[in-house]
Amino acid sequence: MNEDMNGLLEDQEEDTQKGKFLTFSLGEESYGIDIMYVTEIIGIQPITVVPELPDFVKGIINLRGKIIAVMDARLKFNKAPKEYNDRTCIIVIDIAQLSIGIIVDAVAEVINISDDNIVPPPNLNSGGRKYIKSVGKSENSVILILDCEKLLDEQEIDELKSSND
Amino acid sequence: MRLMIVDDASFMRVAIRRMIETKEYEVVCEAEDGQQAIEKFQKYRPDIITMDITMPNLSGIEALKEIKKLSSTVKVIMVSAMGQEALIREAVMHGANSFIVKPFKEDKLIEVLESLKS
Amino acid sequence: MNNSYIDEPMLEAYVYETSQIIETLEQLMIQSEKVGNFSADAINEIFRFMHTIKGSSAMMMFNEISTLAHKIEDIFYVIRENQGVKYDFSTLVDCILESVDYYKIELIKIRNGETPDGDTASLTDKVNDYLEMLKEDNGLKKTKKEKETKSEKDQKYYIRPSKKEDPAKYYKAKIMFKKDCEMENIRAYTVIHNIVDLVEEVLYKPSDIIDNDQSIDDIRANGFLMAIRSTSSEEDIRKYLEKTVFLESLDFGEAEEDWYKEFEVIYQDQEIHDDIKIPETSKKYIENQKVKKEKEDIKQEVTATTTQSIISVNVDKLDMLMDMVGELVIAEAMVSQNPEVVRLEIESFEKASRQLHKISSELQDMVMAIRMVALSTTFMKMHRIVRDMTRKLSKDVVLDVYGEETEVDKNIIEKIADPLMHIIRNAIDHGIEDGEDRVAKGKSKQGSIILEAKNSGSDVLIIIKDDGKGLDKQKIYEKAYNQGLIYQSIEDLNDKDIYRLILHPGFSMKEQVTEFSGRGVGMDVVAKNIESIGGSVIVDSVLGKGTTIILKIPLTLAIIEGMNIKVGESRFTIPIVSVKESFRPGSREIIRDPDGREMIMVRGLCYPIVKLYEYYGLRTDVKDYENGILIMVEEDDRSCCLLADELLGQQQVVVKSLPNYIKRYKQVKGLGGCTLLGDGSISLILDVGEFELSNVLDK
Repeated sequence: MNEDMNGLLEDQEEDTQKGKFLTFSLGEESYGIDIMYVTEIIGIQPITVVPELPDFVKGIINLRGKIIAVMDARLKFNKAPKEYNDRTCIIVIDIAQLSIGIIVDAVAEVINISDDNIVPPPNLNSGGRKYIKSVGKSENSVILILDCEKLLDEQEIDELKSSND
Repeated sequence: MRLMIVDDASFMRVAIRRMIETKEYEVVCEAEDGQQAIEKFQKYRPDIITMDITMPNLSGIEALKEIKKLSSTVKVIMVSAMGQEALIREAVMHGANSFIVKPFKEDKLIEVLESLKS
Repeated sequence: MNNSYIDEPMLEAYVYETSQIIETLEQLMIQSEKVGNFSADAINEIFRFMHTIKGSSAMMMFNEISTLAHKIEDIFYVIRENQGVKYDFSTLVDCILESVDYYKIELIKIRNGETPDGDTASLTDKVNDYLEMLKEDNGLKKTKKEKETKSEKDQKYYIRPSKKEDPAKYYKAKIMFKKDCEMENIRAYTVIHNIVDLVEEVLYKPSDIIDNDQSIDDIRANGFLMAIRSTSSEEDIRKYLEKTVFLESLDFGEAEEDWYKEFEVIYQDQEIHDDIKIPETSKKYIENQKVKKEKEDIKQEVTATTTQSIISVNVDKLDMLMDMVGELVIAEAMVSQNPEVVRLEIESFEKASRQLHKISSELQDMVMAIRMVALSTTFMKMHRIVRDMTRKLSKDVVLDVYGEETEVDKNIIEKIADPLMHIIRNAIDHGIEDGEDRVAKGKSKQGSIILEAKNSGSDVLIIIKDDGKGLDKQKIYEKAYNQGLIYQSIEDLNDKDIYRLILHPGFSMKEQVTEFSGRGVGMDVVAKNIESIGGSVIVDSVLGKGTTIILKIPLTLAIIEGMNIKVGESRFTIPIVSVKESFRPGSREIIRDPDGREMIMVRGLCYPIVKLYEYYGLRTDVKDYENGILIMVEEDDRSCCLLADELLGQQQVVVKSLPNYIKRYKQVKGLGGCTLLGDGSISLILDVGEFELSNVLDK
């Protein structure tokens, strides 16, 4: 399945990437990531724990010789943890030369959402909501579009750190 | 058209190569000084040479003279800078086919190359 | 930049080459300054350097940079062409060094994709004034004028004196060159020079294209006019003229003989034949080149072969290559140590895999060797520091350099230049006394700094030794005590401990901040920088005699010999240089201090214990000393024992840094990086220095 998804990604030519989103699920909710950030999708694999990091940073993985950090989207969004299974995926995203893997329940598909179907998110600044950039409508579902920059934002990190202390 | 780039500055070699490489010109070799230029000319027999003037070991003009002795058909373009008028005159006297003045852009270089065809 | 032809590889080539030239130029200045003059070779070289920078920078549209280079080129042109010319050597060196500094800054901007926008006005003025003075002092301006007036006399050329039979026809031609084609006079000359075969005679206007560069303006405004007498067909001549490079327009047609004669009269003849006069300067230039050529014939052969065999490679590519070789080594281990294959005990397989292992380790060594760079460039930079410092502070200090051929990894070299610079500045500023003081103390008036590099096992030692006033133990102690950095009494500390205090953050001996050192940046930054590359700093001193600072630096950051250990599910790698020994504590005596900290006695010495599972909050079944194993680690004479579940073995590992995301998040104490083990799993590399080590106490 993962191979299929990667094939799907490769089909997206650079200039046709606009307005395309990779969707994935966390429990009942559907999320989307702007496809331009996504470099690949891999199945769950052994994660090396790095001490003294918050729960949502699960550790590091070996991605063909490249070491990247992985975070659990459920824990990051303050949701109950779920045991990993064969549907669990790691979405590898690349922002400002920072690679990170995001562990999600399952990857769904790549969809088009036109600009007029994207609206600002409801003003709820709690839990995972603050990482939502906008809300997209697609046929009969609602996609919560992630703000990848914010997901990795340093300031965000500092805030979290101080609230954890 | 097969071309040789002669320049002691690697930047200039890269620059000229990138300006013409996609066109119908093929850079068959590069040389870093006049002496190398003569040696490589004998080995690769390019049709056109872009020749820097100020180089260590053997100047572009000396190399031009030698190369012109070796071949009457090879076309040599002197690559010069402002202030080198006297040297270019001398080069032309010794058979340089054309010259170009730094800084130049792609279009100028191509125009000089085109003019040397046939 | 809106110039489509300037792309990344060109920019890279430009920055690389220009930086190299600037560096060489700087060294050349420092060397020349020592001798007190420029050798003929140096003058030639500087001229060529500036010529190259001028041309390359102009191509890149960095006009300010190009203009400045042009001016300096002019200066050296004058010096080169006029033997025995008098010039102010030290002002010129200052000018060039100032330009070197300017270029360095601009190159950094260019490298970072910014516009080189430094203001050169004052610098260019300075250089310009110098050039004017140079010409004036040596009466060179006058000769130029003479030349100009002389050239006005040269009026007409005609080629190939007329033959007896003359069925020739007359033609007139007017050539307009394209805008910006530059040197129109020489272009016109090219036309005339090559038309010889086609014509009996050619007259042209302006006639002074050879000697007078002012003719360019005339050609630009009025075009280049030719009166041709020829037996060739009109078509042939037209074809030839049409082939002129950068031809904007051509007026060509047959003319009356009368018109031709008129043209001839206007431009009074003065016969000059084919071998056109070469202006004085360029003749000299050519001779110069000839002499040089003969002189360098032998040298040339050498350089021709050596320069060709060296290529420059982007460091990123080397990093990538090393990563890949690292993976290859891992993959090799995975294949050859695959338990199922090993169980089969196939002799041919073992033989083949041994061969594979040999090749891959040789490959690894080779990749490492490629990355090694001599320290000489970094050391050479220090000459400049010493020069500037001694001038500003009016001190007399000589720098002697040894072992500059010692090689270290490229990544490391970049990180030691700044610390080195700081130490040397400190030495001159605070270490070495004024000349009079020195004489009063019975030392030589001239201070000395020795900079030396040498190999020592898997480390490189860089030693900076000055013969200045040395460190005052008592003062350092008092200062540190008052600043609350230590609590012990001075008797409890050995010399090394006291000197080490100057590396402590926040420690500063000097209240007065001088221009060079100080500025709030102290030795602690030096120590931090060196430690960040896995090195350490040792300070030693004799009061009144001088100070020695030793930087201990690993040869490479990339590959270390490591001891792999296991704690629960986690694996760690300890650099083997830090491991003293490992042992099962068994029932050996464990001591607890009042705070509950555990220690162990080994051969009469008492070592603190760090239980890794506890330290990092890991889950494991091995918690007692009966089943676990202790690894005694040491750094800078300080030690502790780490408790792990078991040892997994010793191997070479490729050091990778932790992902930036994690580093940005938190600098996890004791973790120096990570590495991949043979089975593809990740092991965390422990940085022993970050654990709570203690000076092992005699009990």
